[in-house]
Amino acid sequence: MEVTDIRPILAPAISFACTGLVFLMGRSTFWRRFWSLGAATAKLVVVMSMLPGTLKGTVYVFKLLDFTPGIGLGFRADALGMFFAVVSSTLWLITTIYAIGYMKPEHAKVRFFGFFALCVSTTIGIAFAENLLTLFLFYETLTICTYPLVIHEETPEAMKAGRKYLTYTLIGGAFVLLGSIVTYQMAGTLTLSKPGILSLSSGVGPLTWLFIALVAGFGVKAAIMPLHGWLPSAMVAPTPVSALLHAVAVVKAGAFGLLRVIYNVYGVELLKNLPVINWLAYLAAFTILAGSFIAIYQDNFKRRLAYSTVSQLSYIILGAALLTPYGATAAIAHIANQAFAKITMFFVAGSIQRTTGKTQIHELAGIGYRMPFTMAAYTVAALSFIGVPLFAGFVTKWYLSLGALQSGQWWFVLVMVASSLLNAAYWLPIIYLAWFKAPPGTRLELHEASPTLLLPTLLCAVYVILLGLTTQVPGLPFSLAQAAVKFVFGM
Amino acid sequence: MTPSSLLVGIIVVPLAGAVLTPVIGGKAGKHAWTWATTVMVATSVIAAALVNQVARTGPFSAYLGGWERPYGIELRFDEFSASVAVICLLGLLAIVFSQKYAAKELPPARLGTYYTLLLLNLTGMLGFVVTGDLFNLFVFMEILSLSGYALVAISGERTAEMAAFKYLVMGAVSSLLVLFAIGLLYALTGSLNMADISDRLTGSAEVPAMLALALLTTGFMVKAALFPLHVWLPDAHAIAPSPVSAILSGLVVKTGLLGMIRVYQIYYGAKVLDLSSLNTVLVWLGAISIVMGAFFAIFQEDIKMMLAYSTISNIGYIVMGLGLASQYGIIGATVHIFNHALIKATLFLGAGALIYQTGYRNLSDLRGVGRSMPFTTAAISVGAISIVGMPPTAGFLCKWYIALGAVQAGHPVFGVALVFGALFIFVYYIRMVNSFYFQAPIHPEILEVKEAPLTMLAPVLILAALCLAMGLLGRIPLSFIEPAVTRLLGTLGG
Repeated sequence: MEVTDIRPILAPAISFACTGLVFLMGRSTFWRRFWSLGAATAKLVVVMSMLPGTLKGTVYVFKLLDFTPGIGLGFRADALGMFFAVVSSTLWLITTIYAIGYMKPEHAKVRFFGFFALCVSTTIGIAFAENLLTLFLFYETLTICTYPLVIHEETPEAMKAGRKYLTYTLIGGAFVLLGSIVTYQMAGTLTLSKPGILSLSSGVGPLTWLFIALVAGFGVKAAIMPLHGWLPSAMVAPTPVSALLHAVAVVKAGAFGLLRVIYNVYGVELLKNLPVINWLAYLAAFTILAGSFIAIYQDNFKRRLAYSTVSQLSYIILGAALLTPYGATAAIAHIANQAFAKITMFFVAGSIQRTTGKTQIHELAGIGYRMPFTMAAYTVAALSFIGVPLFAGFVTKWYLSLGALQSGQWWFVLVMVASSLLNAAYWLPIIYLAWFKAPPGTRLELHEASPTLLLPTLLCAVYVILLGLTTQVPGLPFSLAQAAVKFVFGM
Repeated sequence: MTPSSLLVGIIVVPLAGAVLTPVIGGKAGKHAWTWATTVMVATSVIAAALVNQVARTGPFSAYLGGWERPYGIELRFDEFSASVAVICLLGLLAIVFSQKYAAKELPPARLGTYYTLLLLNLTGMLGFVVTGDLFNLFVFMEILSLSGYALVAISGERTAEMAAFKYLVMGAVSSLLVLFAIGLLYALTGSLNMADISDRLTGSAEVPAMLALALLTTGFMVKAALFPLHVWLPDAHAIAPSPVSAILSGLVVKTGLLGMIRVYQIYYGAKVLDLSSLNTVLVWLGAISIVMGAFFAIFQEDIKMMLAYSTISNIGYIVMGLGLASQYGIIGATVHIFNHALIKATLFLGAGALIYQTGYRNLSDLRGVGRSMPFTTAAISVGAISIVGMPPTAGFLCKWYIALGAVQAGHPVFGVALVFGALFIFVYYIRMVNSFYFQAPIHPEILEVKEAPLTMLAPVLILAALCLAMGLLGRIPLSFIEPAVTRLLGTLGG
């Protein structure tokens, strides 16, 4: 049932207004914090207020204006979009608190918080986009407004990373644009409200090339290998940026775009006739393993996190490419599971850097004695990535393996097992270093991160456990993912 | 006021204004600015009334002295003529912007001349787009070209004179070609009225018709600065005073393209020739223009030089769209004629404000200016985002439509060229934005510079707002121009 409602546009509009207010009044520390936190809270409330309706099957739509004759700037909060929106608006609030603590000694804070809010605004726009053109609009805007965040330090290294980031993502954007144009020509519409708008009558060849273009476009932000090069370099950005944008907003925008392409542009039934989808699955499996292999050799904490992100994102893509209901469940659920676990890790890395100045992994010996709570949160996230039951990551691996079996491709289960081992190989040494290897001769004093850094970290860790324990996490119920799957598979 | 008198008024009012400027402007041009602004406001009102009329009733004509065509002179106002609105708006804003700028850059004795020439130039363009007579078209083209040469040279500096001379030589050759073609068409058909020529051309000899077409196309493409006929443009546009650059880059080059649309109207209607080979050439030249313009722009340090090269790229978009000869392609191209005018005027006027306030024109010298002139640089950034075709700005819709047109015409390759050419353009605009905001200033005193005065800031901000509005409300110009394009392609017999 579709209901016209202002809330799907209100959610991005709140962050957009926040950007304006931060730029206008942000020179005062109080107002900058007030508007950032206020808008994050208001947005979370707006998104959450739609949740009961979405769970009952109501789809909230709002058509703002006709962009070109026939294609409108439309917003539509369906189950899949809501899932992404709930995750990102929850994490925006948490990250804002963290960023306020983290950014205290930094420069250009007005610019930082202004563009920070703008990024989240566009992320919600991506989540609620009613058609491919609206999605593209926000996808490109996201690229532009993350640029000032990536180069925040303004050092030559940051500028170089920024250039690399723009090169990758803008080329990706160009592919999305081309794909949208061809889709419009083939289907005569760009709506994302149906389980598939293309049909086999366009021919297997053109459909395959179109699919490659769209996957290449969204795959850049989703960091599928070999399109992942920008992600590790972009780690030069301040930690809250890396956390929110490179674990949640930007990379998930790519993954979410791919889900939209697979489920709403092509549709599951059509893709079963296209062999190219198998290649996407192979590529995702390769990325899962290769990303992990590279991560093992990284000594810089944030770089190891970056390669882990590359690897983890491909879980989502693999799940979607399996074209089975269980695979889809895993793909959608992993948007949340990866986000909460990865953001916990980024918070930990940032807290350690701010509190002790350490950025390399080999320096972390005995850190567990100095920062026990922070490292406890890290341990939770690490166990989740390894896929230990009762943690969020296990849920994904379980459903992904079921999905692989459902599609008769049992070897993907082996990929899952191998990935678990690899995850253990690069997360466990840090746990060992932190808790069991106190450097001899030095007295380790308790020196925790400041509360604004510690509380968000712990909160995210709690979410990681909740997501693994129960299907009824407050504000993030599992049934939302299942509703999306049911729609996609017409169940 | 009847539509006919409005049509006459849109030429007579600015023309009379131009002629009277030296008289009313007084010694040392004290009142010239006030007078020129008043004239442009009046002209803009007439333009608005005309556009409103054509939106309600479709194309209409005025016959001078009551002589019907083909005997008398016809003024014809169709949807393409609605560019009068953009011409008036840009003209008005450029004149408003000139108040402080011209007073500083020009010797006082030339102020009166400056405003006279600006008004004459605008008169030429307004006449060019509303006339239905081919010879009048040529006359108006000469008015706007001659005043254009003078405006480039007006600062009296040696480089300006050289640039103006180069512009003059190329412009004169192009005028000659157009004039020769008009003579040929007159010899073929015995008429100078465009609609009439189109009717009579049917069934006439192919070779002279083809020669006339080739001459017209070449002539207009020199005016439009399509690669490889662009060599006059960068110097002329970069050296002219900034308000003039905005007019030249935003409007004057477009007259070449609007002229080309008139040529299409004649030839598509006449069905005397198959235009597909011409279109193929234009599409290719358009694609090359996009890439070459962007390529040259990357190496420019001077902000206005960079903007000038970027015009060549954008002309490439438009020519490509026209050459694709598909519904979407031509709609996109036509709307980009208007939209690029707004965008480029934003950029040139913004750059002018920066140069006026700081005295620097190189990108590296301008580092850090974003902190001291936040509004101007924000407006320029909006213009930059718009010109590279980021949604939801004005530039995006045209890119979308022209690329869609390429797919529609069965040449998706050109869509690819267009979309990736736009990325190339991004390279140098990001350099500009970087130097405004993210790089440490070379000249520390740039941080002390004040924001531009209101007469400069207001036009720039209005234009930047329009760059956004024309993207979000893009359906208005798109659906406005659609019937005209349908008619044009309908005569093609498709």
